[in-house]
Amino acid sequence: MTFSVARRQALGRLGQWGVVLGMAGGAAAGWAAETVTVKDNTGEVRVPLKPKTVLVLDLAALDIIQALGAEVQGIPNQKLPPLFDQRYSDSARYPHIGSLFEPDYEKIRTLKPDLIIAGNRSLPKIEELRKFAPVLDVTVDNQQQLDHVYRNIRAIAAIYGLKDKGEAEIQSVEKAVADLRVKAARQGPGLFLMTNGGKLSVYGPGSRFDMLYTVFGLKPLPQKIEVSKHGQAVSFEYLLKANPEWLFVLDRDAAIGREGAAAQKLLDNRLVQATKAWRNKQVVYLNAANWYLLSNAGPSALKANIQQLSDAFSRS
Amino acid sequence: MPSPAVKPPAAKLPAAKLPAAQLPAARPGATAPGSFVTAWAGALVALLALALWSLSVGVSDVSWNTLWSSSEDDMVAQVLLYSRVPRTLALVLAGSSMAVAGLLMQMLARNHFVEPSTVGTVESATLGMLMMALWAPDWSVWAKMGFAALMALAGTALFLAVLSRVKLRSAWIVPLVGLVLAGVIDAGATFFAYQHDMIQSLRAWANGDFSVVVEGRYEMLWLSLGVTLLACLAADRFTVAGLGESFATNLGLNYQRLVWQGLVVVAVVTACVVVTVGSIPFVGLIVPNVVRLIVGDNVRRSVLWVAMAGAGLTLLCDLIGRLVIAPYEIPVGTVMGVVGSALFLILIVRRRRIG
Repeated sequence: MTFSVARRQALGRLGQWGVVLGMAGGAAAGWAAETVTVKDNTGEVRVPLKPKTVLVLDLAALDIIQALGAEVQGIPNQKLPPLFDQRYSDSARYPHIGSLFEPDYEKIRTLKPDLIIAGNRSLPKIEELRKFAPVLDVTVDNQQQLDHVYRNIRAIAAIYGLKDKGEAEIQSVEKAVADLRVKAARQGPGLFLMTNGGKLSVYGPGSRFDMLYTVFGLKPLPQKIEVSKHGQAVSFEYLLKANPEWLFVLDRDAAIGREGAAAQKLLDNRLVQATKAWRNKQVVYLNAANWYLLSNAGPSALKANIQQLSDAFSRS
Repeated sequence: MPSPAVKPPAAKLPAAKLPAAQLPAARPGATAPGSFVTAWAGALVALLALALWSLSVGVSDVSWNTLWSSSEDDMVAQVLLYSRVPRTLALVLAGSSMAVAGLLMQMLARNHFVEPSTVGTVESATLGMLMMALWAPDWSVWAKMGFAALMALAGTALFLAVLSRVKLRSAWIVPLVGLVLAGVIDAGATFFAYQHDMIQSLRAWANGDFSVVVEGRYEMLWLSLGVTLLACLAADRFTVAGLGESFATNLGLNYQRLVWQGLVVVAVVTACVVVTVGSIPFVGLIVPNVVRLIVGDNVRRSVLWVAMAGAGLTLLCDLIGRLVIAPYEIPVGTVMGVVGSALFLILIVRRRRIG
């Protein structure tokens, strides 16, 4: 008999806990002011509307927020590219919440966030980040880069209650892209080249720098370049043989603010000098931070890059 | 495509590269003078064939016919002289000097399973380069290399110092100590690079790669050749050093000075190679061991074989890297890692069988 009594007591206690938990859940739901459903990399997510404490672990998302004139309460721990406002260097006002690859979970816990915005480089950590707050996953897929940029702008604008500003940003990007495509269509084929630690690698359509070809409308070289995360390693002889009319150079060592084997110095040799791109002065050194760190996924970076290409095409 | 140049190496290669078949007959002492000369000639021809093959492989359409016949296309000669010849030379220089550095390392540590990339020499040189890249990016390449060489020297000396304090020097403890030390130095370099967002750059230039070697970007390797030649002249002494300190001292050699000379050679060669093309693993391990199995421990007899085989193996690995995913490339460091570890396993298994 004692057994069944014990069991009944246990069941009763379980029931009590259930009530307590239910109340706590109800209280939490009532306390969160309002929510909004937006699209992100995972599909549709419900996140708080006008959240008080927003932590951002993605530079492109920070660019979107800055373009919308909205505020954040935590930023990644790294030297920010010049397109960002000087005020972000005030680490008391904008605490650092770890690197893009390694979030500082202790710091995040103490900041008690209402929303975390993360993606791409922090993608593998998003499950962990969900333990602290709802996460908006702004990862951009290589296959549909521009659509995903628009999706992210719309989502972040909706969260901050700034839908009109978001649409205005999208429209201005759309117009810039359309203008650039007209100019790019008149140009000969081009090649995206990255220099890193004195080595060369090339990227074609479908790669992380797909935007150059698919969105901006530059013709790729006829020979296909296999897509791989770190591009395809090539020699100077390859550049000579490929002989592109345009060469777009990303100096990765410059992207991370380091003095590396500067791309310009590296390329200035007899084989590269013999390419059409070099002879016609159609070698463009891209803004490394905008292309590499922000991956063209924020409106300011995107518009600056479009402007650079547009200027280059106008001169030719 | 230059098919005539492609055939010979494939045919000659087994004779030079896979000595396993002739192993029993070719052991020291068993070699007759006649067959020795034949072997030399065969190896030289094989090496030359590999070098010619290396010259003929590339993205541009450079075939021997166009080179001899037409003079209108100036670019052909340009590509050959500006890109192919330097690359082939760099491969020969780096491969042979790394192999000889491995041989010296093995004599100094008195163990057959060490080489610059497994005892911390390469890691120290890489760390030195990283420090230069961060603190003194404006220094000349020679100054940076000098610093890298000093770091390599310090790292190698540290290895020997640690080794001299290890009581139980069984055959496997020595390479193990080296690997641990190399791991610690590499971890330090990685941490340092991580703090400065330079991990990817570090990995890019630390992995041996000849893809951007053109005229003006490899000449430093001639220095490593010079140092290697000096080491060849002192071959006899290193043989004696390999027999141990007391033995060498008994023969009237200044053992400590000899060790330091060997260390300097290893450090300078490693620094030259790491600075110009990055690290080429295994070549300093595999080549001296294979050669030793054939011609024995006498450095004077083996050093030129080691140099030739080192050049041949490096040429071959670079060719593989250039051919399998052409027109793109796989760095020679990666290919050597695969080929080298396979050869290493064969070596260990064979060793056990021979006893």
